[in-house]
Amino acid sequence: MQNNLSQVEQRVKQYWFKDGLGELAGGGMILLVGVYFAGQEWLTEGSIGRTLLQSSLALLLVGGAVATRWLVNVMKTRLTYPRTGYVEYQPGVKNTPSRRIFTAGIAISVSALLVFFGRFSGSFNWLPGFTGLVFGAAFILLRARSNGIGRFYVLGTFCVIWGVALSFTNLPMGYSLGLFYGVTGIASMLSGGITLLRYLRDNPFSGETGNG
Amino acid sequence: MDDLRGVTDLDRLIHEPARLLIATILASVVSADFLYLQRETGLTKGNLSAHLSKLEDAGYVKIEKTFKGKLPLTVCKLTPTGKKAVTRYRQQLQDFMNKTA
Repeated sequence: MQNNLSQVEQRVKQYWFKDGLGELAGGGMILLVGVYFAGQEWLTEGSIGRTLLQSSLALLLVGGAVATRWLVNVMKTRLTYPRTGYVEYQPGVKNTPSRRIFTAGIAISVSALLVFFGRFSGSFNWLPGFTGLVFGAAFILLRARSNGIGRFYVLGTFCVIWGVALSFTNLPMGYSLGLFYGVTGIASMLSGGITLLRYLRDNPFSGETGNG
Repeated sequence: MDDLRGVTDLDRLIHEPARLLIATILASVVSADFLYLQRETGLTKGNLSAHLSKLEDAGYVKIEKTFKGKLPLTVCKLTPTGKKAVTRYRQQLQDFMNKTA
């Protein structure tokens, strides 16, 4: 009985990912980060374009996160809620301020360690592999395993293989990171797009919201 | 045997399968609309309405008509009393299962 109740809760969690909109918008954001890294490598060192691009990272990340959230909300209101209903989720521990500060602290510490290790070893070729492992772990542990959604295992495995493969190329760091984020973003958008098409096919809009 | 008699105290309003499903769904979210509950429970509109009315009359569920953009929604959420009732029900059921396992 308790198992059945847990299954109900699991289904509620899975509902957020049912339409693939999060992956589509998130994938677009990851693709933009890829363009950022590749653009930085492509532009001449010391040029105005490169300086502008370098200083726009924070804007890209914060603005992208806000825009992604807004876009997902708008799309869900137009596509998902009229078809299969609206759910407001519990904020959960992941959104508490202390959790955010802790996560930011971890991210800054890891970045500092990576820079130190890179300078010490004299090479950053391993960075795409490391990024692939982090992305793979995030997709597999935070999405696939905790929510029971199989397609995230595929995405996570792809990230690890793709990141490690790029580590063995001798591409400049900007291009290898650009390729990692770019292709990962496209893979996420593809996965989201296929999921959305299936969702729309399986849940045609009847014109009646059922909320009368 | 006396330990097992606690199961007769189960909240019968929640114990009914359809209402148990509705309450369990609502316990894991802040709120959900009528359409979502209907699809997840597989109940007809009339049946779902009747069960929601019973839960609302008992003070377990609050129902509000609202809008998300231009989309009209009938949003349902568990009240604090409803949350306590669901938690107590699950605890009683878990105790019973543990004692009879």
